[in-house]
Amino acid sequence: MKFLSLLRAELQKTRRSGILWILLAAAVILWIPSILNAEMNFGMQAEGISPEHNFLIQGFMAMAWFMFPASMVVVTVLISQTERIHHGMLKMLALPVSTAKLCLAKFLVLVFYSGMGFLFSVGMYYVSAAIASRTQGYEFVLPPLFVMPEAAAVWASSVPMQAFFWMLAVCIRTPVFSIGTGLASIVPSVLMLNTSVWYLYPMAYPFFVITARYGELAENLSMETIEFFPWLSAAVLITLACLLISCFRFGRAERR
Amino acid sequence: MSLALECRKIKRTGLTAAFLGGELLASAVPVLNMAYRPELYLHREASPVNVLLGAGWQMMVMLNVLLIVTGACALYHMEYADNAILKMCSLPVKESGLFFGKAFLIAGLSAVFLLMEAVSVAGCAVRWFGTGREVCGEVLRNLGFSLLLLLPAILLALLIASVCKNMWIALGVGVIGVLIATMIPAGQFAASLFPFALPFRTLSGLEQETIRGYVTAGAAETAAISVLEIILLRVRRAFQ
Repeated sequence: MKFLSLLRAELQKTRRSGILWILLAAAVILWIPSILNAEMNFGMQAEGISPEHNFLIQGFMAMAWFMFPASMVVVTVLISQTERIHHGMLKMLALPVSTAKLCLAKFLVLVFYSGMGFLFSVGMYYVSAAIASRTQGYEFVLPPLFVMPEAAAVWASSVPMQAFFWMLAVCIRTPVFSIGTGLASIVPSVLMLNTSVWYLYPMAYPFFVITARYGELAENLSMETIEFFPWLSAAVLITLACLLISCFRFGRAERR
Repeated sequence: MSLALECRKIKRTGLTAAFLGGELLASAVPVLNMAYRPELYLHREASPVNVLLGAGWQMMVMLNVLLIVTGACALYHMEYADNAILKMCSLPVKESGLFFGKAFLIAGLSAVFLLMEAVSVAGCAVRWFGTGREVCGEVLRNLGFSLLLLLPAILLALLIASVCKNMWIALGVGVIGVLIATMIPAGQFAASLFPFALPFRTLSGLEQETIRGYVTAGAAETAAISVLEIILLRVRRAFQ
């Protein structure tokens, strides 16, 4: 079975899961406070950031801190649980397909849904920025060429985190533990950013990227700037290690 | 009977261990705060308990609420997983009894959770602020207040889990509820009455009137969600 057709089959399995509605609802709820508190963006001009940039960055910060990692935990639950009902996993393992390929295809489904979550958030950003522009009489809408690279950077920086969550879902069979560990690991991510070894904690990456961008846009704020060493090497190593472990452990419990 | 049954059911789900792990993590928050940055907190004018709760309560309660949502999903998932709920329904046990058994179980686990946090806060107050035994009264008052405000969150998480047969939908809706709670600012009384947002409030800095408002709201929401669940179960049963 080719990898692409495997990927398509995995995507099809989640087609009727309703997960897209949950991602959409999260994106809608995320931007509602931004519309309601739109006038607060004018107060941030003292920091040297324009209101329209502040509007975008604040929304993305709220997303990168809790909503996005938590929704990724939910998607891992979806991917691992759909296969457990009626011993679906056993049937998949009986097929002449490499388990590592199967595991990677499922991981890519997770990455796909995270991308969808981002697209929903960007879409809702445009809707809320348009509404805020109307209510405040000030143009909050930024060009897509500015917004899309921002979103893409945060999304790309979240891949190691997703690999970590996927490893949790594969290695820990008890749902309470895999979900609990995933959700609990999100809570101290802001604390970890204040330590010198933040780059060893993948859950902090998306929030780091967006705060660094905040520091660049706000002239009077001094934030950490992005330095690719040792961050990038740590990120690549963590992603590879998590994927290797999950590929190795995938389906082990069922085959016993 | 339901409670005893529920206690036996969770034997191999890892729920107790997950709550214990979460408790240790949450109790470590004030200790770590005081151990690594005592200079930030030691010279404040507020009472030691208020300073400690102000510094770490958001994180502690968030862990607690997330565990409650996870626990509620897991408790109902084991009923739905292999249609065990149908077997439960054929027993001479009320479906609402099942719900309240689970609610008592999570409330008990949360009470232990809060107790450990209270011990940790009191210990920090004694160790770093040099307070005497009088701190126990203040900590216990906070504990009672938090437990009451947690009840609506527990019941709502269970209500969501009991309605959704798919675990990810229940978890997704619960997570969205927590997301809403994190976005509600402390000053807005009406908005902070949202069940998942209630536990984020502490006694510090609140006037007697507001405290009474929160206590009444906590009790009223607990009753309202219980009644709503009973109605929902009856309606679902009628259409099955």
